[in-house]
Amino acid sequence: MILLASQLEDALARWKQGMRGLTHEFCMGTLDLLKEDIERLKPSILLLDYDLHNLGGSKGVATLMKLSPGTKIIILSNPISDEAEWELFKAGVRGCCRKDIDPKLLRNIINAVQQGELWIRRTITCRLLDELGAIALEKNQIKQAASDLLANLTQREQEIATLVGNGENNKQIAQRLAISERTVKAHLTEVFRKLNVEDRLKLALIVTGSLESSGQTRSGANLHIK
Amino acid sequence: MQPITVAISDQNVGRRAKFEHLLQGEQGIKLLINPKSNEDDMIKNRRLIPRTNFSPVEDMVAGIRRLNPRILFVNIKQCIEADCAMLMSLRRECPQTLVVLLADESVQEENQVLHALASGARGYLNFEAESVHLAKAVHVIDRGEAWVPRKMLGKIIDQVSQWCQISSGGYLDSAR
Repeated sequence: MILLASQLEDALARWKQGMRGLTHEFCMGTLDLLKEDIERLKPSILLLDYDLHNLGGSKGVATLMKLSPGTKIIILSNPISDEAEWELFKAGVRGCCRKDIDPKLLRNIINAVQQGELWIRRTITCRLLDELGAIALEKNQIKQAASDLLANLTQREQEIATLVGNGENNKQIAQRLAISERTVKAHLTEVFRKLNVEDRLKLALIVTGSLESSGQTRSGANLHIK
Repeated sequence: MQPITVAISDQNVGRRAKFEHLLQGEQGIKLLINPKSNEDDMIKNRRLIPRTNFSPVEDMVAGIRRLNPRILFVNIKQCIEADCAMLMSLRRECPQTLVVLLADESVQEENQVLHALASGARGYLNFEAESVHLAKAVHVIDRGEAWVPRKMLGKIIDQVSQWCQISSGGYLDSAR
């Protein structure tokens, strides 16, 4: 189902011409009404007027996406800067086009977005690749930092940290390593202190990041973090 | 206006010849001889003993640096070896050369393409690309834009927005 949201009747009437054969509904109200409609209808596609009152740009779009993560948002706007458009894509929109777009082209965009494609201007695509490169670099740095941290643990502490990363509780770890639960707790307290983390969730995040980077399997008790 | 210089690097001789044939005569494009295509001749002509203290990647990058093309089409298999070492090296040694990947559409290669794009490649074309698309990709990438299919852009933005969410603490919040 496709939801068309704008406060302008003209815009909605124009977009409607591209909806032939597609199930669709209109939302002509305020942002609050749109939020209610999204939560209720969970549309597969939302055609959203960028000038909707109180939308608040990319932050408002991100809020809408949280209400229905499966909804793919296509923004229709008057000409906006590359910067503003890029922020919308970073927030997760799947397409941007002009509000006065030819209805036939709008239909093509909907089809493309439904098939998992991104409708983005070519001048912005290089930013996308730059961002992808920056993220890859950042991930590597985090993984390296996690590996360095884990290298400070003893072999036994590493084994226990690995099992925490696999989602095992203290009792399971104790059974697997043939030690008491109390010993597991003592080791974990030391692991938390050395890594400066407060809980096993954060420990698990560090461990899984490190294991992925060194390409090791995550199963079994005898794993050694590099 | 200066023509855009283009080189093709693919160890598959037939496929490389096909791409060179497709690009020959395209307006505004000057095809350079592939560094690998005449490697044997180069070794015979320029040195009696091949360099053994250079890795294949270093050798290839040195050849590309000599050619200095603006656009380099490369078989993705050459790019992804040793965790994209060739792309990293090219970025460092030949920053003016923009790399376009040549690959097929298998799922496995899709992940490899994403990895290679994250390592600095500026475009991706299928082995079956037609000359019109090759030439268009050359001009688009020369302008500083990217040449990537929309579907792959969709996958890239998924990664970007997911990372933005993690960075802003969205996932940690939801896990509590």
